[in-house]
Amino acid sequence: MDNLFSIFIMMALVNNFVLAKFLGLCPFFGVSKKLSSAVSMGIAVIVVMFAASVVSWLLFYQLLVPFGITYMRTAIFILVIASLVQILEITIRRTNVNLYNALGIYLPLITTNCAVLGVTFINVDQAFNLAETIVSALGAGVGFTLVLAIMSGIREKLDLADVPKAFKGIPVAFLVAMLLGIAFLAFGGMV
Amino acid sequence: MDNTVLIIVSLTLVGMGCGIAIFLVNRFLPEEDKLLKKTEEISKFLPGMNCGACGYPGCFAYAGEIAKDIDILQTSPCMVLMNDDKKVKALGNALGVDLSSGDKKVAVVHCGGNSEILYEYKGIDTCKAAAQLSSGFKKCPYGCFGFGDCVNVCPENAISIDPEKKIVVIDPDKCIGCGLCTKECPQNLIEIIPAKMPQYLACNYLSKKNIPGRERCPLGCIHCRICVKASENEEVTWNEEKDLPFFDPEKCVPSPAAVEKCPKKVIFERNET
Repeated sequence: MDNLFSIFIMMALVNNFVLAKFLGLCPFFGVSKKLSSAVSMGIAVIVVMFAASVVSWLLFYQLLVPFGITYMRTAIFILVIASLVQILEITIRRTNVNLYNALGIYLPLITTNCAVLGVTFINVDQAFNLAETIVSALGAGVGFTLVLAIMSGIREKLDLADVPKAFKGIPVAFLVAMLLGIAFLAFGGMV
Repeated sequence: MDNTVLIIVSLTLVGMGCGIAIFLVNRFLPEEDKLLKKTEEISKFLPGMNCGACGYPGCFAYAGEIAKDIDILQTSPCMVLMNDDKKVKALGNALGVDLSSGDKKVAVVHCGGNSEILYEYKGIDTCKAAAQLSSGFKKCPYGCFGFGDCVNVCPENAISIDPEKKIVVIDPDKCIGCGLCTKECPQNLIEIIPAKMPQYLACNYLSKKNIPGRERCPLGCIHCRICVKASENEEVTWNEEKDLPFFDPEKCVPSPAAVEKCPKKVIFERNET
């Protein structure tokens, strides 16, 4: 239990995907203009990360390891994630229209999100068992959502602030990202 | 050799597994909501730039409302869509309803510019702020301030500030007639007119609301009614309420005589777009 909790903290804060591992930077700047869409995107990422991690863990230990072809994991994982996102999108679309309106448009974006692929690799690299894999995927997703939400909150305020003309928009967002990165450095010694 | 076969087989198997899984999901889940399907169908015809001029948050939300009630298209129309005859017809075909678009419309600014400056304004540089301070800083209290409140809202960047005249000018080719700018102007100078309108009055001098102590704008309409007299078939009429000439947007008839005879040259000819 202790171990699981520390894995969660490590994935969410210490090794934050965006600010420490530099994964998923595209949505970090692309979908962080509005808080509501950032949170929707974050929740979609959590769901996909969870599903992708479980499936890829099973495939890795049931298929790749027994046959000794672990170096094929990149191709297999990408294949699995892409089709998983597709299945998820169809399922949500057919069963819950409101959820689809909230999440649906972000799901195709996640198909090619390196953060999702990253978490599956980290899980097998660290030789996590299934429970640890689930916790680490959830932690990574929560960390990603947290940073996206913080960033979008700041950017919403920044729109109203009197920013020098040359810095308006993306440049000042980069500066904010830097400061956020420094802030998250403080979690460094925790785990 | 053995390994290569293994790789090919495993990749093929995983790929086939994924494909079959998607197929199964696609096949055995219930049909998607009809409303959602219709919404997506409609949203293909919308401009997709989410300007919000229709009053709904974005084109997709607007499409959703149309899917529920087709009358929304008439009661709060998307000006951009309505400007495009072909698209409206195509949307009508797709929905199985007979739709006809209005004419293409564009925005014009009812100001000729070059009005002299009454006092130097150093306040907040928006038109709305400038309008608050004793009817503006230009000699004409009804003219364009040229700070460009309308420039900021234009989704197509069709509005720019003329450096010589110090007023805004609207590029009729870029203008899509959404009408967002008309709400921004504190002077109510921007009007949406049919694109085939051959001329418009570049002045909004309201003499009936004359401000005591102010001189008349030397460049604007002097209410001489020469344009009305010059027009043979009543192409130009007189708007008694505003005390300005009026060009009927329903008729859109050209009146070259009025354009030529206007002593102040404030009736501008337009090229049809």
